[in-house]
Amino acid sequence: MGEVLELKPMKLFDTKDTTDLAVFVRTSDEELVTWNRQKIVEALIRETFLDRGTAEIISEEVEKIILKSGISVLTSPLIRELVDAKLIEKGLEKARKMHTRLGMPLYDVEQLIVYPNKENANVPHGPEATNLTLAENIKKEYALLNVFSQDVSDAHMKGDIHLHDLGFIDRPYCSGQSLEYIKKFGLSLPNSLAIAKPAKHPEVLLAHMVKFAAALQSNFAGAIGWDAVNLFFAPYLEGLSKKDLKQLAQMLIFEFSQQAVARGGQAIFSDINLYWEVPKHFEDVPAIGPGGEYTGKTYGEYAKTAQEFVKALFEVYMEGDGCGRPFFFPKPLVHITEKFWNEDGSEEFLELICDVACEKGNTYFVFDRGNTAKISECCRLSFKLEKSDFEDAKQPWKMRYSAIQNVTINLPRIAYEAKGDDTKLFNLLTERIELAVKAHIQKRMFLEKLLSQGERGPLALLTMNKDGQPYLRMHRVSYLIGMVGLNELVQYHLGQEMHESDFAIKFGLKVIAHMKLLCDRFSKIHNMHFVLEQTPAESTAYRFARLDLKHFSEKAGRTVKGDISRGEIYYTNSTYLNVSHPINPIDRIRIEGLFHPLIEAGSLTHIWLGEKRPDTKSLANFIKKIFHNTENDQVAFSPEFTTCLDCKKTMRGLLDSCSYCGSERIEGMTRITGYFTRISSWNKGKLGELRDRFRSKDYF
Amino acid sequence: MILFSAPTCDKCNYIKKNFNLKELGIRIEELTEENAEGLALLAWHGLVKRAEEGLPILVVEKEKLVIRGYENIAKYLERKVRLKN
Repeated sequence: MGEVLELKPMKLFDTKDTTDLAVFVRTSDEELVTWNRQKIVEALIRETFLDRGTAEIISEEVEKIILKSGISVLTSPLIRELVDAKLIEKGLEKARKMHTRLGMPLYDVEQLIVYPNKENANVPHGPEATNLTLAENIKKEYALLNVFSQDVSDAHMKGDIHLHDLGFIDRPYCSGQSLEYIKKFGLSLPNSLAIAKPAKHPEVLLAHMVKFAAALQSNFAGAIGWDAVNLFFAPYLEGLSKKDLKQLAQMLIFEFSQQAVARGGQAIFSDINLYWEVPKHFEDVPAIGPGGEYTGKTYGEYAKTAQEFVKALFEVYMEGDGCGRPFFFPKPLVHITEKFWNEDGSEEFLELICDVACEKGNTYFVFDRGNTAKISECCRLSFKLEKSDFEDAKQPWKMRYSAIQNVTINLPRIAYEAKGDDTKLFNLLTERIELAVKAHIQKRMFLEKLLSQGERGPLALLTMNKDGQPYLRMHRVSYLIGMVGLNELVQYHLGQEMHESDFAIKFGLKVIAHMKLLCDRFSKIHNMHFVLEQTPAESTAYRFARLDLKHFSEKAGRTVKGDISRGEIYYTNSTYLNVSHPINPIDRIRIEGLFHPLIEAGSLTHIWLGEKRPDTKSLANFIKKIFHNTENDQVAFSPEFTTCLDCKKTMRGLLDSCSYCGSERIEGMTRITGYFTRISSWNKGKLGELRDRFRSKDYF
Repeated sequence: MILFSAPTCDKCNYIKKNFNLKELGIRIEELTEENAEGLALLAWHGLVKRAEEGLPILVVEKEKLVIRGYENIAKYLERKVRLKN
C-alpha cells in the first residue's frame, strides 16, 4: 500500500496524455522519470475507485500546482501528498484514506537510526533493530488505517484502549508448544532448504528446538514457550552421566540466552515450563524417544531422569553467565502441583529452586492447585488446559496454544470520565470491553485472510499440517483483554488506593469480576475465547499515564505514579497494589492473589528484593505457605545487580560504581516486568517505577 | 452468613428448598453471568477455584468457617435450626 503511486518510466506509446513538462520524478522504484500526469489518474482509479472524470480533474489541478511552483525534481511521496490535499479539498475523505502513503519523516528515521528505541527493553540498538522499528512503524500505521475500524483505531490513538503489537499486525501474539511436535515430525519448515528427520541425539533435539523457536519467533509477535521441557527431553537422556546432563543443560540455556541475532537483533523471548513431578495428564502417555519412535515406556517412568535434568538446569541458572549475571532467557517456570509435595526429593528440589531465586532471581513459581494444569509463557500469560486438552495430552504434539492479540483497557481514564458515578463507571467499562472485542474480531478476520493463503501465504509456517490440523489451531486460540491501573481507578473513584482499605480491594474485585463476566458472555456470543490477562504493560502503563496527564491533567495529576517533573510517570500495572507501599510480602501475595482466579490467562506477583539475599530455607517455607494458604497463581522474586563493564564482576544491588575496581562504567539489571533486562534500556515510566519499588529487605 | 449458589445447581436448590435461609440470617449469592458483585465477593473469600469445583458453599463469617458440599452444609444448618428452636 505504501508504494502504490509508481511513476515508472513511460512506455513508447504511452505519451498521448502526458503533459510536456521539464519535471522529473524520483520514483519509489529508485528511478528518475519524466512527469506523467496519467500516473495520478491510474493510481486514483486503482486504489480509491474514484471515477475517471474526477481523477482527471484532480490530476490536472495537481499538475497546475507543480507547474506554478517551478520545482524541477519531484518525489512520488510529495505528489501523493499534493493529491491527498486535493482529495481533502473536495471532501473525498474516504478516497484520501485509501490513497494514504505510509512512511516516516526523515527526522524520525534519523532519530531511530542514531538513538535507541526504548519501547521494548528486549530490543537492542543496531541496524537490525532499526529495520525492525521502521517496519513496525509502517505496519502500525497500516493496521490502524486498514485492519481496524475507525472507532477502534481512534480509541487506541486517544488512549482509551491499547492495541498491543500493532507493528506485528500480520502475526498472532504468543505461542506455547510441545517438544513432542519436533520429536515426532522432525524439523521441516516451509521455507527451509533442508528437511531434518526426528532427532536421534539430545544435542540434535536441542538444535531443532532452538531453530524451531527462532522460526516461530518470526511468526509470532511475542513469547515462545515450551511445555514440560525436562520431561519431554527425558527419553533422550537415559544413561547419560551427570556431567553430560549438565553440559546439555548448559547448552540449552546458553543457546537461548545468546540468540540475540534473531528478529531485530533481540533474544528469543523464550520460556521453559518445568516440573519436578510428572503432571497427572502425562503420567500414562507413551513416551517418544530418539528417531521419533515410541520407547515402550510411559512418561511416568521417566520421572527420575526428568528430575536429574531439571536439577542440572537449575545448577546452570545458579552459576549464571560468564560474568555470573542471571540469564535473561529462557525463563524457567516451575509448576508446582498438588502432587509435588508428596514426591520424593521435592523438599530438596524446592530448596534448589529457592536458592536460585534468592541468588539470581530466575525462578518463576507457578502454582497449579487442585486439578488445574496450564502452559505458561511470556511475562505471565498462561493457557489453562480444558477437558479437550487433557484428551490431546495423550498425543502431546497436539498441545499448541496461542493468543491472537492483547487489548488493554485504560482503567483510570474510566474513573475520570465517570466522575464518581458507579453506574457510569461500569457502563463505560462495558463499552471499552465491547471495543476490545470488536478489535479482536477485526484482527481475527485479517489473520484468517492471511492464513487462507496456506503454504504460499505469509504465515505458511502456521498452516503446516503434519498431524491433520494446522500448526496454529484457531479453534484453541485465546483473545486477551488486559487492564492497567486498577489501583488508580479505585483511588480516583473512591478516594482510597487499594492497600488503604478492604472496601477499596472489594471494589477493585468488583471491577475485575465485571470484566471477567463480560469476557465469558462475549465468548458465548462470538464463539471466541476472550480471557483476562494481567497486561505486562512495559510501555502501556507509561503511555496511558502520559496521555491522561495530557488530556485529563487535573485528574491524572492526582493519581499517576512516579515523578511528573522528570516525566517518569506510570500507572500501577494491572491489578497490582501500589509498588511503593511498604507491605509484608505475604500480605502482598495474598491480597494480589485474590484477583488471580478471575484472570484466567495469567497473573504474577512480584516481590522486589533489591540488594537483599533472602535465606533459602525461609523462602522455601514461604513458597509452601503461598501454595497452601493463598490463591496466588505465580510469584517471582527480583534481586538487583550491577555488572562492571571493566573488570566484568557482578555485584548485588544497584550501585554507582564497581565495588571491586571503582569503575563507573557499570550496568544495572533487574526484572522490568516479566523478565530480566538491563536498566539502561528501560523507558521513563519503568525508571519511575524502579525508583518507587518497595524492596522487601527485612521479611526473609 | 453467605450461601454461594447457582441457579442450575441441584444441590444448591436442595439447600434453598429445605431450609428457611432468610430466617437463619443467610444471604444467598446466586453466581450468574450478570452478578459481578457476587463473583467479587466469592473472590474476596478466596473461593473462586473451589466454587469451580462445586457449589454450594456456605461462608460463616463470624466463625471464620467455609463449608463445602451440600451434605455438610445441610448438617450445619440442621444444627443451627435445632439451636434456634
